[in-house]
Amino acid sequence: MTKTCIACGMPMRVTEDYPLGNESKDYCAHCAREDGSMQSYAERAAGMASFIARTQGLDEGAALGAAKALMARLPAWAGRA
Amino acid sequence: MKEHSILEKRTRNRERQKLETSRRIIEAAALVFARDGILATTTAAVALEASVSHGSVFARFGTQAALVSAVIEDLGRGIAARLHELASSGAGTRAVLEAQLRAIAEREDLYARLVVEAPLLPPEARDSLLGWQSAICFHLSPAVEVDTRAGRLKAMPLHLLFNTWVGLLHYYLANRELFAPGASVMARRGGELLDHFMFLISKEGSE
Repeated sequence: MTKTCIACGMPMRVTEDYPLGNESKDYCAHCAREDGSMQSYAERAAGMASFIARTQGLDEGAALGAAKALMARLPAWAGRA
Repeated sequence: MKEHSILEKRTRNRERQKLETSRRIIEAAALVFARDGILATTTAAVALEASVSHGSVFARFGTQAALVSAVIEDLGRGIAARLHELASSGAGTRAVLEAQLRAIAEREDLYARLVVEAPLLPPEARDSLLGWQSAICFHLSPAVEVDTRAGRLKAMPLHLLFNTWVGLLHYYLANRELFAPGASVMARRGGELLDHFMFLISKEGSE
């Protein structure tokens, strides 16, 4: 069954999309720590900002602001800013 | 027990109706934005197109900015979904970019409006745009990394590769009446743009 990651919005379609292949989780492999637990808000924001800066070249501060704005729309972080 | 079940059914029906109305408003807004421009469109025009009351638009979306944002997210979801299916099948850089071109061509009128008006849109709408550009990067970057490691592409920072591609596409979209009057610029010139971009980033192209 396809789910959408509550922490980053990515569609999870195959087993590899889930943390440690555990399809009962509502967050994806990219939003999990090595032990399979979900990353904290700060960890996810830093990870997303780093990805935005690396792939789109945004200034680090602007990338962090954009990451937080995008995260505020996701179920795992609703209301955070 | 029976009353409880009737209440549950009514609640489910109401939720379904709400979702259907939201969907209808998003589709109507996308159509009017594409036809008349995003900033020039009023919520009253969207309500008229969707055949709902003006109040329904605000009841579902709260503000015009939230409606614009919802339309942009819907557009981006469609493009990202196409790329996600392709990327998980291990497609190369060219195939991912081709899929992006096809997805843009399907909704070119709206996409081109977005390109032209993006700097003037409310911050939350611009955040939505950045969000799905990130989703595109998320699907493109593994393909680029594989092709680079295999020696097919020149080594270069990912953001420069991506921004060069987006800059090229967006220039043609913003000026599409010059490049393909009355037609789809992606359908008419997309292949040429992709060939040129692949030539720029390929190792073969530099030899």
